[in-house]
Amino acid sequence: MYPLTYARARTLSEARELLAKHDEARLLAGGMTLIPTLKARLAAPSLLVDIGQVQELQGIEAKGDRLVIGAGTRYVDIARSALVKRMIPALAYLVSRVGDPQVRNRGTMGGSVANNDPVADSPAAVLALGATVRTERREIAADEYFKGLFETALAPGEIITGFSFPVPARAAYWKFAHPASGYAMAGAFVADFGGAVRVAVTGASSSGVYRWKEAEDALGRRFAPAALDALEVSPDGMSSDIHGSADYRANLVQVMARRAVDAIAAGR
Amino acid sequence: MAAAFKGRREDRRLVSGGGRYTADWNLPGQLHAAFLRSDRPHARIVAIDAQAALAAPGVVAVLTGEDTLAEGIRNAPPMLPYPGRGGQPIKLPPRSVLATGRVSHIGQEVAMVVATTALAAADAVERISIEYSDLPAVIDAEAALAPGAPLAHPEVPGNVCFDFDYGDEARVKEIFAGAARITRVKLDSQRICGVPMEPKACLASYDAQQGVYDFWSSTQGITMMRGSVAGYGIAPDKVRPRAQDVGGGFGIRSGAYPEYIAVMIAAKKTGRPVKWVGSRSETFVSDHHGRAIRLSGELAMDEDGHFLAARYEWVCNQGAFPSGPGPLINTVTPKLTPNGVYRIPAVYGRNRLVLTNTTPITAYRGAGRPDAAYLLERLVEEAARESGIDRVELRRRNLIPKDAFPYTTPTQSAYDSGDYEALLDEVLARSDWEGFEARRAEARARGRLRGIGCAVFLEPAGGAGPKDQAMLKFGSSGEMTLYSVTGPSGQGHETVFPEVVGRELGVPPELITLRASDPDGPPLDGFGTVGSRSMGAHGGAALLAAREVVRKGLELAAKELEVAAQDLEFAGGRFRVKGTDRSLALVELARRHAGKGAVHPLDATADNAAGATFPSGAHVAEVEIDPRTGAVEVARYTGVDDCGVVVNHTLVEGQVQGGIVQGAGQVLGEHCVFDEGGQLLTGSFMDYAMPHAGLIGELRLYDHPVPSPRNPLGVKGVGESGTTGSLPTLMNAILDALRPAGVRQLDMPATPARVWAALRAAAGARQPPRG
Ligand SMILES: Cc1cc2nc3c(=O)[nH]c(=O)nc-3n(C[C@H](O)[C@H](O)[C@H](O)COP(=O)(O)OP(=O)(O)OC[C@H]3O[C@@H](n4cnc5c(N)ncnc54)[C@H](O)[C@@H]3O)c2cc1C
Repeated sequence: MYPLTYARARTLSEARELLAKHDEARLLAGGMTLIPTLKARLAAPSLLVDIGQVQELQGIEAKGDRLVIGAGTRYVDIARSALVKRMIPALAYLVSRVGDPQVRNRGTMGGSVANNDPVADSPAAVLALGATVRTERREIAADEYFKGLFETALAPGEIITGFSFPVPARAAYWKFAHPASGYAMAGAFVADFGGAVRVAVTGASSSGVYRWKEAEDALGRRFAPAALDALEVSPDGMSSDIHGSADYRANLVQVMARRAVDAIAAGR
Repeated sequence: MAAAFKGRREDRRLVSGGGRYTADWNLPGQLHAAFLRSDRPHARIVAIDAQAALAAPGVVAVLTGEDTLAEGIRNAPPMLPYPGRGGQPIKLPPRSVLATGRVSHIGQEVAMVVATTALAAADAVERISIEYSDLPAVIDAEAALAPGAPLAHPEVPGNVCFDFDYGDEARVKEIFAGAARITRVKLDSQRICGVPMEPKACLASYDAQQGVYDFWSSTQGITMMRGSVAGYGIAPDKVRPRAQDVGGGFGIRSGAYPEYIAVMIAAKKTGRPVKWVGSRSETFVSDHHGRAIRLSGELAMDEDGHFLAARYEWVCNQGAFPSGPGPLINTVTPKLTPNGVYRIPAVYGRNRLVLTNTTPITAYRGAGRPDAAYLLERLVEEAARESGIDRVELRRRNLIPKDAFPYTTPTQSAYDSGDYEALLDEVLARSDWEGFEARRAEARARGRLRGIGCAVFLEPAGGAGPKDQAMLKFGSSGEMTLYSVTGPSGQGHETVFPEVVGRELGVPPELITLRASDPDGPPLDGFGTVGSRSMGAHGGAALLAAREVVRKGLELAAKELEVAAQDLEFAGGRFRVKGTDRSLALVELARRHAGKGAVHPLDATADNAAGATFPSGAHVAEVEIDPRTGAVEVARYTGVDDCGVVVNHTLVEGQVQGGIVQGAGQVLGEHCVFDEGGQLLTGSFMDYAMPHAGLIGELRLYDHPVPSPRNPLGVKGVGESGTTGSLPTLMNAILDALRPAGVRQLDMPATPARVWAALRAAAGARQPPRG
């Protein structure tokens, strides 16, 4: 780690002021991505602004027909929330499959979605559910938010405050965990809004989370596992490395999506 | 045999933060070191400019290779008692503690900064500038053998540093020429990382008056560490190695790494203690790796499936420099058991040690034995498939019978004892081998490929070193300290060695405390904790020391009880006058004579010259494969092991279990990968797949002891046999599952992607069924 200054923000406005004052400031939420990056000397911010205790970023609540989750809410609290389990059980399940207990005890969905790692789980839920990403200055539709590998619509210094999720009729997430890292080799989030179906795929593509439009159309016509059988997933644009070829990942996308639909159809 | 296991005595300390690992030691006034490592596989060092680093805040010194040469540090030679083919000795490329002239692998130590804080040292490392001129690199061992391949070192033409063979080449050739059936396999025992929880670290101080270094590191034994340091030219009496707890040994903590020597030199040069704690990344790239062997084998049989001869060829990647144990474990070790548990009248093996521009290879749990067992048991399995003889029947037909011991191999090594057929019978019964097809069918109905596999195996264990000593010293109230030079790293020595002594002396084991590798203890001869030797060698010495206590006690008690020593008997912790109820407890006797000088009259030292043992086992694994994702699940694993006399079942089971899972790690995921350009692709846990606790569904282990005549306890090695067994057992099971789908060959690690690709290739590029 390079030497740096640490500051704990008590309020959102304090966090904004600190960020505004320092060019090289970085937000610190759960630290589960940022701290390892710092330790490996891959980043050298001058100031860490810890938002872990900012109340405005915390909480899970039902607002009208939507589920709203604060960006700083820890995974463990989302996974255990009765409200999340009732409104969007697939989201509680997805979060329960992130990393290990230590990671879930600190990590936040805000940190994950801000980072937009192409193999992270949360982006699949945000995109498939068509959530709204809320920041301290605006609201961004999920479809406008994800811009490729580690790229998002966030402006420098913009703080995600929370996520507002429309509630689907039914949904499921299926993930094939990477043999080493446990992140997604391929993960498919399928959400059925009663006719309109959204499918988001994470982990597999070399440009990050994306919507699988062909699957959405096929499932929209007939919501059944077999609806995906006729679809070919092209290996073009899939990641390829020592852990699996592009062909393998393309296959996994198909299999994970199908299993997610299976799970929904079976009422699991 | 023993009472309920009360837990390991060391565990309270270890789980409550009382352990002392290398980073926990600190000395007043210590400085901190950080290393600059090569970021290229092969290059000439044109210039090193350390001016900016020297000028950086807190920096006390910068050392380069020239400084270590000036200190008289030399190239540590590997242990290798044999010459190679045609009497040729090993060819050693020059290796200095910090690189001079050339770098030969990614991660090689090039320069060291010593500063007042670890942070200052790390910062200054980034200010050293090096001008390199790249040289062609060679990464893969087989590629290194090709004519015209780049040379890892110009001093070693052809890249082969040692060419070793054993057995009877001509006879084997003749047998193969006339054999009814010949089976061939070629396998990869891939490179893996040791991945101890404790990273590489050390602390050194130099006493200029005495000319002696005090040196702390994670080590599998202080005598071994002293010997290894001596290899670099620092005399054994000039080093006091120290260690308490070791966060993972596995073979990779058996010797002195170059960094250790550099830190010692820095302590001498600066006159202050110097500490270095490596990062996880440094541990991945620069801890010596394990395995990295291409294994080829051929087995000749007659019509009836009797084995006639075997021929092996190993191409062993040694990395850029042969490590201390690297050459030994890849030559002498496989030579000890070329026929495994079978009667194979003639064998021939040729093992070539190849230098490449990669991290050096050293001993890693099993150290050559898992590779040998893997090769032979895969050969036997394929021979059964090809001949149509049932795989269990083929093994049974060729097993060495239990009345054949001591059994001499065609390479003149003598197996101690064993009953392989009984192990096989028991494991078949315990694993319900006969009922398997029903389970396969049930899995098929769920869309899963289920397979079963077995292996019957043995390995050489223990031996090494002429003798090991143990000393029992009495304290003021009858308690005892047991001194030994073992280097435990989780085996439970602090629990089980006192049990050995306690049982012999008829006293509770709690009365005895083990002090392993205590630098302030008495000087003792012996080798450390490697090669599954500690119980036979050091445990045996402890038993003999206890017997010596009894012998001395008889004389002393005779005086106290005013009888002749021959009228006394010792049992249940008491010296008793035969035929009477007059007796004196050992503890009481010890108390009466305590505090009368440095040496208690009952203090006893014993020498034990333990020979090699040959633990064996028969294991069965059942796996299930999801053909759509290629994921392999180990549903059941059953092991029946002959580790000789079992002193403490729980600890033996823990060792076998750990060994099996460590092997399963290699079979299912672990793989240290360098790309063609020599860069390490698996430099962190993001890419290096460690086995997890849930890897094996149901693991059942059974003891089947056949005592060994080679040591006083009758024990055999236990630390590595699980690994030796699990490589072939699991791979045989995986291939059994895949065979109905047309897959006949697959190399470790059987990762989901590889399994899926093999299934797809077998299906003729037709997509496997979906869903
Ligand atoms: C061992 C391990 C295993 C893991 N396994 C998985 C896995 O299986 N699946 C998976 O998806 N992830 C996994 N992760 C990653 C984990 O999910 C992320 O680290 C975590 O979600 C990031 O959240 P955080 O709160 O820790 O963010 P931090 O590390 O604190 O921050 C991450 C980045 O986001 C920025 N940031 C944080 N909060 C905000 C905000 N509110 N607004 C704007 N920017 C912000 C920070 O400045 C930083 O750049 C794993 C991590 C570890 C260490």
